[in-house]
Amino acid sequence: MTLVHPEFAEELDRFGVDTALECFNCGTCAAICPLIYEHFPRKMVRYIQLGARDQILEHPEELWRCLHCGLCTQTCPREANPGEVILGLKRFVVDHWRRN
Amino acid sequence: MYSPRDIIEVIAGNVRKTRSPFAIPRSMVNTWWKKETLRSEGDALLFTGLMYQFIPYIEKSTSYLEKYEDTKLASLVRFAKYQPKRLSGIGLALMTPGEKKKQANEILRNIAKVLTRSDVDFYYKPKLDFYSGILLYDLGDQESFVEHAKFVSGKLKRAGVKKIITVDPHTTYALKVLYPKYTGESFEVKAYFELVNFSSSNGGGQVTLHDPCFYGRYLELSDAPRRALEKLGVKCVEVRNSGTFTNCCGGPAESISPSLSKEVMERRVEELRTTGAPIVAMCPICLGNLRKSGAEVEDLSAVIARCA
Repeated sequence: MTLVHPEFAEELDRFGVDTALECFNCGTCAAICPLIYEHFPRKMVRYIQLGARDQILEHPEELWRCLHCGLCTQTCPREANPGEVILGLKRFVVDHWRRN
Repeated sequence: MYSPRDIIEVIAGNVRKTRSPFAIPRSMVNTWWKKETLRSEGDALLFTGLMYQFIPYIEKSTSYLEKYEDTKLASLVRFAKYQPKRLSGIGLALMTPGEKKKQANEILRNIAKVLTRSDVDFYYKPKLDFYSGILLYDLGDQESFVEHAKFVSGKLKRAGVKKIITVDPHTTYALKVLYPKYTGESFEVKAYFELVNFSSSNGGGQVTLHDPCFYGRYLELSDAPRRALEKLGVKCVEVRNSGTFTNCCGGPAESISPSLSKEVMERRVEELRTTGAPIVAMCPICLGNLRKSGAEVEDLSAVIARCA
């Protein structure tokens, strides 16, 4: 069972993530991403929107596949900044590791 | 894929204790300036950020990571954080071939030659040349990055540095964009190729530039190397994905997943090869990673220095 944390997007504010809710899931980021990997990074942005905090923490290593190349941010029609969202999620996970 | 947590803890521990991601003493890494006649005072500080000097060490350490990725031995990386930092750093330095170190130093000598030929009033102080901490930022270890960045920016500020000339995109981004944001210290930062100010008839020929993501997109500096090459009579043959739409070389993934890094790199090299012109990089990470394909890749500084 997945618990939903509606406050997750707000929690990410202090890790520099404040654009995830702008995303309308068009998939441009996943189409242009050089990883060509399972709807990445769109999937991660969607997890934030849904408050699926546990999904992120269960498989956090996926975030480090991101090359931080910025192509997704460059092409996002909603200026949702997916590349920086992924970087912010990495910060959130590192903080979680250090505190636990 | 390696555990990001293990890799981050090793790198963060090294930077905390030694100010270097590889824990190699600076006196062993930064030797390029020793045979140069460089001024120690001037208008702008040449700040290498040690990234080009790291190329041979990155190559050596990632060759081990490549070998053990997804094997049972991969999990042993977590114990690396318990090793004495400087001792393991010196060990890596001694295992790295001297010839590779010379090649990396040559790039920096070329950059100094280009700046001198351009009549740039610059100086160099090895004691002020530090690693910027950018890998910690990219890996998401914000706390360690900010701590290190404050240490470096503090040293520069106390030395009265106002203008900085950088040589690679990662250090340029760190000093130009991240340091003001996270340390409160600002400097006037320029990449060395923005200062090329001479024409030459020694140039000629053509090249295909591989724009690094940070120069191409984050800093939007792709026009500057093209302008410099145009003055030297070198023609740039473009691939479709260049400038702000450049494609990644795969290098940033090399510490976490060498196989993923290779996959992305091979796609990029295939694209760059379509022009038939020699491939030219302008970032130490791109240069090292693209060369792993076996393709001949030259650094931009060598092309410009040949005309100086």
